[in-house]
Amino acid sequence: MERTRVRRSEFWMGCGFLAPALIIICCFTVIPIITAIYTSFHATNYAVVGEYVGLKNYISVLGKSVGWLNILNSIEYVGLSLLLAVPLGVGIGSLLNRKIRGIAALRTLIIIPWILSQTVTALLWKWLLNGNYGLVTYWVYELTGSKIDLFSNVWTAKFLVVVANVWNSLPIIIILTIAALQTISPELIEAAKVDGAGRGKIYKSIVLPLIRPTIGTAIVMQSIEYFNMVTLLYVLTSGGPFNQTQTLSLAAYQNGFDYWHMDVAAAYSIVIFLLNIVFSLFYVRILKGNDN
Amino acid sequence: MKEKGQLGKTPILDALTVLALLAAALAALFPVLWGLSTSLKSDGEVTSFPPHIFPSHMNLDNYVSVFTQSDFMIYMRNSIFITVVGVILATLIAAHAAYALTFFELKINKILSFFILMTSMVPPVALLVPLYMMGVKLHLYNTRIMILLVYIAWRTPVLTWIMQGFFSKLPKEILEAGIIDGCSKAKSFYRLILPISQPGIVSAALLSAVYIWNDYLVSSSFITSNELKMLSVGLYQYITQYGIKWGLLMAAVMVSIIPMILLFVCLQSKFVDGMAAGAVKG
Repeated sequence: MERTRVRRSEFWMGCGFLAPALIIICCFTVIPIITAIYTSFHATNYAVVGEYVGLKNYISVLGKSVGWLNILNSIEYVGLSLLLAVPLGVGIGSLLNRKIRGIAALRTLIIIPWILSQTVTALLWKWLLNGNYGLVTYWVYELTGSKIDLFSNVWTAKFLVVVANVWNSLPIIIILTIAALQTISPELIEAAKVDGAGRGKIYKSIVLPLIRPTIGTAIVMQSIEYFNMVTLLYVLTSGGPFNQTQTLSLAAYQNGFDYWHMDVAAAYSIVIFLLNIVFSLFYVRILKGNDN
Repeated sequence: MKEKGQLGKTPILDALTVLALLAAALAALFPVLWGLSTSLKSDGEVTSFPPHIFPSHMNLDNYVSVFTQSDFMIYMRNSIFITVVGVILATLIAAHAAYALTFFELKINKILSFFILMTSMVPPVALLVPLYMMGVKLHLYNTRIMILLVYIAWRTPVLTWIMQGFFSKLPKEILEAGIIDGCSKAKSFYRLILPISQPGIVSAALLSAVYIWNDYLVSSSFITSNELKMLSVGLYQYITQYGIKWGLLMAAVMVSIIPMILLFVCLQSKFVDGMAAGAVKG
């Protein structure tokens, strides 16, 4: 009798503790996703939902070449960013883990870009690469003899948004690498040394396999992050030139808040949401794998 | 002592390591330093070609103008207000939820944990459009309440998730000791669990502070009045249809990043802990 009363009061207390979180999450995450699904099947006029249009909005995303260009751009952006960020991050992280005097100060300096927002990152790089007065533009001018606006060329623009992104997000991979390296027991390394293994061999056949789960986590985590990124691209190129740096996420934002096509933007949002579910299931699986 | 021994053993390798890291540090700081240099130049020097790496003489005009002839201080105040209130509320809400999920034997705990984890993965960009439409309908559009609620709602799942990790590592005996002393479960939360977990909670909260301070999407999508704008959007006043005032813009950028850089340099280990906890749960 006593026990059930305790149980019951604990139940209500638990509900009280959980309620604020659940209510606010439902109002600002769950309900909006449901409205987005609903909106994506209707026409809109500004923020007012109109008549049912079936799959029309999805056809404007996936039935047109621009939608597929967005998808391709997303893949390029995520893939190229990872290709640069992961080896660099793991490399710098491994170097920072060596015990040398003064290395802590270097670590602080190297991590600083992470604290800066995407807006600030984009503005700093936009200025560095400015077509008229930018420092990099001047260096290019010295080399080639002509002033080039690097953001008006498709390939340099695609590459430079990746560079700015890697500059801003590299510290995350560095920090995760260091955290993983610090869990490796020094005795293990000592034992390998006693067995006569060289530095390169130890790194390749002992250290790397041990930090591989963390690298895997970082890759999935950063893929999601890069895929959903809007601000950096919006401030740096607004998707240009000719939509060549417009990723799926940027297209969702621009359709909604630049072109005021809320219906098409809702369809974009749902496509992004579904792709995120796929990514997230991967992520959860990897996290579970790491726990075991 | 061991550290010194290693330093002596491989001087060349160590020198190369430091050299490579110096190059990395230079690359990390260069865009910021170039912005800093620009902010200290006069208008004419900003647009000189070839550009000067260093300002020919220090000139604080841009900073004076940012502080006295713009609404920058309003944006700064808004950013501080929204960040502080948002982080405190989100952390409190998430701590309660994480406590219930870890220490209360509710039948639906597992499902709720999973639900909260999944909602932390809904991308903000997918929510902007429906939230905008909702905000307009409910007359919450262009209010502080709206962006505060959005930030709190979007940070709560991540914070809950990280704190569940902290709480589940606490020895169960702590709670039992509290109950023997006559604390109810609610009381032990405030008297025991919160104080003990404070360091972890602070590092999780710091990450959310960076998120809100740095965010552009929410504040740009849901706010139009000048008096309510936050810093990241306020920077845009120097980007006009007549062109960008780079000297002023860079001065404003420098002022906007100084609070975060100072906070980061002082509390670096806390930031790093929170980041690692957020990525590799538990």
